[in-house]
Amino acid sequence: MLVEVAEGIEKFLETVEKHSGKRIFALFCGGVSPATGESWCPDCVKAEPVIETGVAKAPEDAVFIKCSVGDRATWKDPNCEFRKHLQLKLVGVPTLLEWNTPKRLVEEECSKQDLVDMFFEED
Amino acid sequence: MASYRVFCRNMKTSDVLSYIVKQNLRRCRRFSSHTDERQNYDLVVIGGGSGGLACAKEAASLAKRVAVVDFVEPSPRGTTWGLGGTCVNVGCIPKKLMHQASLLGEAIKDSRHYGWQVPDEVNHSWQTLVQSVQNHVRSLNWGHRVQLNEKKVTYYNGWGKFLDEHRIKTTLKNGDEKIIHAANVVLATGMRPKYPQEVPGALEYGISSDDIFSLQKPPGKTLVIGGSYVALETAGFLQGLGFPTTVMVRSICLRGFDQQMSQLVTDHMSNNAGVKFQWKTTPVSVEKTKNGSFSVRWRDEEGKEDVDHYDTVLFAVGRIPQTSNLGLENTSVKLKSDGKILQSQHEQSSVPHIYAIGDILDGGIELTPVAIKAGKLLAHRLFGNSNKVLDYSKVPTTVFTPLEFSSVGFSEEDAIERHGEENIEVYHAFYKPLEFTVAERPSDQCYIKAVCERTGSQKILGLHITGPNAGEIMQGFAVAVGFGISYEELSASLGIHPTSAEEVVKLHITKRSGEDPTVTGC
Repeated sequence: MLVEVAEGIEKFLETVEKHSGKRIFALFCGGVSPATGESWCPDCVKAEPVIETGVAKAPEDAVFIKCSVGDRATWKDPNCEFRKHLQLKLVGVPTLLEWNTPKRLVEEECSKQDLVDMFFEED
Repeated sequence: MASYRVFCRNMKTSDVLSYIVKQNLRRCRRFSSHTDERQNYDLVVIGGGSGGLACAKEAASLAKRVAVVDFVEPSPRGTTWGLGGTCVNVGCIPKKLMHQASLLGEAIKDSRHYGWQVPDEVNHSWQTLVQSVQNHVRSLNWGHRVQLNEKKVTYYNGWGKFLDEHRIKTTLKNGDEKIIHAANVVLATGMRPKYPQEVPGALEYGISSDDIFSLQKPPGKTLVIGGSYVALETAGFLQGLGFPTTVMVRSICLRGFDQQMSQLVTDHMSNNAGVKFQWKTTPVSVEKTKNGSFSVRWRDEEGKEDVDHYDTVLFAVGRIPQTSNLGLENTSVKLKSDGKILQSQHEQSSVPHIYAIGDILDGGIELTPVAIKAGKLLAHRLFGNSNKVLDYSKVPTTVFTPLEFSSVGFSEEDAIERHGEENIEVYHAFYKPLEFTVAERPSDQCYIKAVCERTGSQKILGLHITGPNAGEIMQGFAVAVGFGISYEELSASLGIHPTSAEEVVKLHITKRSGEDPTVTGC
């Protein structure tokens, strides 16, 4: 499966556009803090290896976009573009979603291996 | 081993023993799953609808090993859907949303009287509605999947069939077969729409409630065949969305419901909502015409035939219990002639460890909340040391026609049959919802009646309401009626002014008195 990395909402939407017609999975995480080299969001750090394992079960021809929602202040702003975008309307990070479907895992759900496996495995 | 000792140091001997047993059990289980393809469950639920899912989740929360086997056979038109059963996919949920869409159309008309400057022509997009409804349905499907997963219920997306009374073969979507072993089985496969066999073209060209909520193109001029609540609700919202709709009724509408109320509902549909009714007629044939529409021939009670053309023909003539392809012949489960599962008592079939809940249970009631409650109580009786059973009497329900009709308890007919007309007092009122006045909406069919005992404090046997939001009004009163409230207690209660619901506590005119039951003033 093709993995893409996007920083910010514009880049994300561009990447979605580029792969339109395919099944698109997306993961939204807090950005990497330069001080620690890890995401500022502990749930995101916790979910990473779980999602890494789950992604292996995704269909070959699908696309997986990893997108950063920026630093903590950007995300916590109620007007954050990721919160406002009509198709995203994110309420928490990490969020794992399949584009154009209601399939979504939010926050600690992303750290549960069987939920994440199910997310990638089933239509 | 060192860490094991450290771990055990602070434990009592009994705890240590139980820990060791558990660890060994875990090891055994892991081992057995490698050597034995057979999967053992305390409970296998066949059918992932409202009842089945509720029962499975409840059993799992009581720490039992539970599996749900669910498969959606495509409709004759090829419509299929996800986990959640009729209610979520092709029943309550999408129909209530489409009913709401239709009510909003009414509200737009009303709003002009309230000062909103709405353009004369307001259009509706069927595609947008279907998309929105289906998005919601799909999010519910996903929600059910997540919940099963979180409760550790194993989900088999496959067709379940009994090999014998404990073994069930599930044929998965990809053709793989798995045999699972069940200590207990709950059948919750529900019902699917029926097509009249004797009408050529019905199965070939007709659609049903299985298809309407995901129909890709607008239905256009529609013929709805049947007098069931499914028929009336569908006709109601289609007409409300601007599709000219006719209902073809063989005999009566809303069989089993209070017939005076049923009459009010259909009067409102034909006099106010613009639905056409073709009474005492039955379809003879459905043919496809050159331009893609359907020519339907019908016969009236005198044998006279006539024909008209429709863009969509929808059958709502009843539903068939899904019990014929479950391998029940390999068990001693007894069916009634209509295909429903006979119960010895309390949802238990003729085989003690096989149960049935929801629509397929003979003597049950075809309603989601009934199936859910039956499923939960059953799980607790099986695994939770409970002996609580579901009371199938005084179950409230609402028909979401353009003018909603809600009821709980006995119809007037049933009350008379059971108690005798001389022992029944009926309090009734025709009322005018305040919001109808400014909008100049006729309220001729807004009506309430309480069917009560005639003596003593006059226990309420049945309560019936037609009017806007009848379902929302009834829910609270249904609690009271369920607990045996009397007319005396009801009329001692205070109303909330100004509401339609207050007319229930203000009921004071009896049918017997012959006085005018029209509510006037405050």
